[in-house]
Amino acid sequence: MSEISFRDALRDAMSEEMRRDDRVFLVGEEVAQYDGAYKVSKGMLEEFGPKRIIDMPISESGFAGMGIGAAMMGLRPIVEFMSWSFSLVAADPILNNAPKMLYMSGGQLGCPIVFRGNDGAGGQLGSTHSWCVESLYANVPGLKMVIPAFPADAKGLLTASIRDDNPVFCLESERMLSLTGDVPEGEHVVPIGKAAIVRPGTDCTVVAFGRAVHFVLEAAAELEKSGLSVEVIDGRSIKPLDIDTIAASVRRTNCCVVVDQSWSFASVGSEVAAEIHRVCFDDLDNHVHRVHSDDVPAPYAWNLEQEMLPNARKICEAVRSVTYTA
Amino acid sequence: MPIEITMPRLSDTMEKGTIIKWHVAEGDEVTAGDVLADVETDKATMEMQAFDDGNVTHIAVDEGQAVDVGTVVAVLAEEDEEVPPPAAAAPPTEATEPATAAEPATAAEPAPARSSSQRKVTPVARRLAESHGVDLSTLEGSGPGGRIVKRDVLTAAAAGDEMRAAVPPSAAATAPPAEPAPVVVDQSTMPVPATPVHPSQPAPLAASDRREPVSSMRQTIARRLVESKQEIPHYQVSMVMEMDAIVELRKQLNGELSEQGVKLSVNDLLVRACAIAMHRNPLMNASWDGDAIIYHSEVNIGVAVALPESRGGGLVVPVIRGADTKSLRAISAETRALSEKARTRGLSVEDMEGATFTISNLGMFGVDAFTAIINPPNSAILAVGACLQKPVVRAGELTVGWEMNATLSNDHRVVDGATAARWLGTLKELIEHPAGILV
Amino acid sequence: MPADSMTKPDTTTNSADATPAAAAAPTPSPDVLRRWLRDMMLIREFEVRCMQAYQNKLAGGFLHVYNGQEAIAVGCVAAMRPDDPIVTAYRDHGHALARGMSPEVGMAELFGRIGGCAKGKGGSMHFFDVDHHMYGGHGIVGAQIPLGAGLAFATKYRQEVMEGTRSSRVTMAFMGDGALNQGAVHEAMNLAAVLDLPVIFIVENNLYAMGTAIERCTAAGAHITERAKAFDMDSAVIEAMDVLDVYRDMKPIVERCRETSRPCFVEMRCYRFKGHSMSDPRKYRTHEEEERWETHDPIERLAAHLVDQDQLTGEAFKAMGKEVRAEIRAAVKAAEASPPPGLDELYHDVYTDTWGPYTGTSVPPFMRRRSSDRGPQDV
Repeated sequence: MSEISFRDALRDAMSEEMRRDDRVFLVGEEVAQYDGAYKVSKGMLEEFGPKRIIDMPISESGFAGMGIGAAMMGLRPIVEFMSWSFSLVAADPILNNAPKMLYMSGGQLGCPIVFRGNDGAGGQLGSTHSWCVESLYANVPGLKMVIPAFPADAKGLLTASIRDDNPVFCLESERMLSLTGDVPEGEHVVPIGKAAIVRPGTDCTVVAFGRAVHFVLEAAAELEKSGLSVEVIDGRSIKPLDIDTIAASVRRTNCCVVVDQSWSFASVGSEVAAEIHRVCFDDLDNHVHRVHSDDVPAPYAWNLEQEMLPNARKICEAVRSVTYTA
Repeated sequence: MPIEITMPRLSDTMEKGTIIKWHVAEGDEVTAGDVLADVETDKATMEMQAFDDGNVTHIAVDEGQAVDVGTVVAVLAEEDEEVPPPAAAAPPTEATEPATAAEPATAAEPAPARSSSQRKVTPVARRLAESHGVDLSTLEGSGPGGRIVKRDVLTAAAAGDEMRAAVPPSAAATAPPAEPAPVVVDQSTMPVPATPVHPSQPAPLAASDRREPVSSMRQTIARRLVESKQEIPHYQVSMVMEMDAIVELRKQLNGELSEQGVKLSVNDLLVRACAIAMHRNPLMNASWDGDAIIYHSEVNIGVAVALPESRGGGLVVPVIRGADTKSLRAISAETRALSEKARTRGLSVEDMEGATFTISNLGMFGVDAFTAIINPPNSAILAVGACLQKPVVRAGELTVGWEMNATLSNDHRVVDGATAARWLGTLKELIEHPAGILV
Repeated sequence: MPADSMTKPDTTTNSADATPAAAAAPTPSPDVLRRWLRDMMLIREFEVRCMQAYQNKLAGGFLHVYNGQEAIAVGCVAAMRPDDPIVTAYRDHGHALARGMSPEVGMAELFGRIGGCAKGKGGSMHFFDVDHHMYGGHGIVGAQIPLGAGLAFATKYRQEVMEGTRSSRVTMAFMGDGALNQGAVHEAMNLAAVLDLPVIFIVENNLYAMGTAIERCTAAGAHITERAKAFDMDSAVIEAMDVLDVYRDMKPIVERCRETSRPCFVEMRCYRFKGHSMSDPRKYRTHEEEERWETHDPIERLAAHLVDQDQLTGEAFKAMGKEVRAEIRAAVKAAEASPPPGLDELYHDVYTDTWGPYTGTSVPPFMRRRSSDRGPQDV
């Protein structure tokens, strides 16, 4: 166990898998010579050479498709999007090819590929660069989606993603890349589809994904001062969704707030809420409350951006409301 | 073998086609790929081509006529018997297929309207109410718009549990025998004729269920117990008391006094012992008063009495005033008189006013030990179990002895644990060495 | 160049400095030529019976037939090694059959039956046969071209990085002329050139992007190989109504690509005898144009050549036709006899592992016969 950054945890996952499995390679913009636009792949060119760490032209549709073609032949590409915002121009390959290859070929070939990159508001990047793609993409059958919030999970989930035989979308956040935490050294796999209780509590369950988990922890500390004990669940995977862990918690607390960075309409948050209402109906003391980014394009101004996000203040309000302590 | 030529499906959405023009006539020879006719589809006018060689022997559909896809429009006579019959295998069955598929699902019966009231109850509150036997119609919801939420049910359930533990359903029915020993329970009641607390709301009933409006006394009991349990921070201390001496004393006294018509009960001895203990520990003889504690000068001991079914059941708490200054004989007589009055004519308000402490005894039902809810404005109540013969250790030897369990519920606002323990220790001392209660 | 002005086919290579690394293709033996003829006839008969089945509602969805373009699939496949991957668009029956997919399996797929190559889950536009290195028919115009670049990347990576040998496999990525205006195609060509991928981009220029003539939708449509120059890529134009021409010109291109691991761009000049799909009335072109091109029918052309050379008799040709018809008739019967997929198949193959309603992958029956011990990824 050593304390390293989220960024280094991602790199450790990739490097360790590349040492272990020569089918694994990394492509993306600035991943090689520049050492990674966000330094996630720092040093990897040096270790693995230009045949496995490959700079790509600014051509997401092309290199995402190329990665898929390579995965169809049984290689295990890691395709880095500098930002998931840029994946929109690659929507056809990542949504129409990768997740459907196994089905369309009747099981003849699948697509063991990882797409990864920064998701969500960075810091004053404006609307085009602040996409939260989870709700948009999680709608598609055939793909998996993981969204680590801590360095250890970043390593464990990315490792599991690389080893998975299906296409996996790994959603990171540039706001978390410098976050440090204890990470197991050597092989560390966190199974896809398993949530974690990151703070136990008794009065209210709050489920969040990715960076929003940190907003929730901030809110939980605040709420504790007024005597509210919040159980915080880090979903860790969006697809498959670990509804069992969430439901077990809601059955104890009888109320739930879902925090999701993406917009509220037809979202991960609405899916989680719907599932809780389905499996925990008789256990609920209030309807599930949701906290999302406001339904506006991400603004540039700092104060507006902070207000738009599902911040701790909004989470506190939601918890007080759902527990009838407002 | 003749080859049937059917109206082709020439677009993904085409259901019918119209022969606009025949390019062949009966008797013509055609080869595969020849255009046979122009067909108007839902999208365009298309050519219908021959897939096989042969002679046109029959044209079945006139120009301008619309037919379903799959309908035979012409017949070819084959020149080569090896040519397979065209896949006219698809007869115009398509009309029936979608029909079956489109068969409307049986409309679901509308769900029977909920018989429950219009009150809003959260799902978990409804479920908990069911499992705890809480009647939702008696609850006041604390959620938005009066929604009944989990905490409302749990509060009511806690009060209800105490009631059930204290008063078994059979208690009232098997009301006290001639023996005046005041049975019963914790409970109080000030004015017996009280105004109803809540107008009842109809609750959902199963066919075999029975709904019976409660008496005003029952409503008062309910209200006061809920208040007590909600407001008073209860805690309990218990002790096991050796009863050999007091049993012996009672036997002796009753033997000597029987000619005078005096028959002491264990309860009479207990009332007397409690009164003396209270006198020795006056901190217990007190009431919480918001921002002060009232220390009472009189020691008035309430004794919970179960009423017979003939008087509507329930329980009352007659009060022995100045019990610390009354003799055993007086206490016994007064208790007997009040019990009799309670069972026959009913007690007056004065009979039940002013208790500073209450005793609840379920020993005659075989109850070993229990806890009772404090009777406000008392700050303590003693719950007395049965006096039983048990294997005991006396002076280091295993022998058979009489024992009784007493549990004291206290208002922590008034009485701290050490005080309560000391008081109970005093009581134990008095009971185990009962000479003290005689004087 | 307007379609009507297409005249006598001839072959040109517009890249003067293309390095002719491989020797000229050896002349195929009469046996080989007769097999090509039969392959083209099989594709033609397959397509004719597909149309008939479609009209009789045995097949659903969209159907795009390959009539007229058979020389390209057969000639290209003949010019490559059996383990060289190919990928194509939705007009994919010819490529799959040329690669060796059994007509019965293809027809069953078309009919949506369990015996189909994708157990009835892909349909006409999505024929896959990984055993024959056919990586699919793909339904979105141009989307298969980045995949083709990826297949080439993978063959090269496997050999150079994993096996420590020289790259020696060539990928062919087929597209129609309509795909030329899709961004993904340009992105893939750029990538292939930058990364030195052994892939041949083959444009089957049948002059129409669905119903829009090439000169109406593609800039410099008469000179599409000019686009290869923008990527510093060799290119060739092949008159593709004659399988001999296709083979003769493709063979050195394939070998050069194998040798140099450099991408190449080929324009196949051809004609689609039928409409874009089954609902196309072809009002955008004239009967005269269609008749003129039909005189260049690749099947008749090769048959005439063989008869000319005394390598085929009229009777033998007729017998070959009967044999092919019987084979396809049997395929139709077998496909009709194959049951529709069980409803459990709806939930198979969404993920390789079991999750939620999904029960993991299952290998299609025809693959199970051939390679029962192989996972879907071990290609």
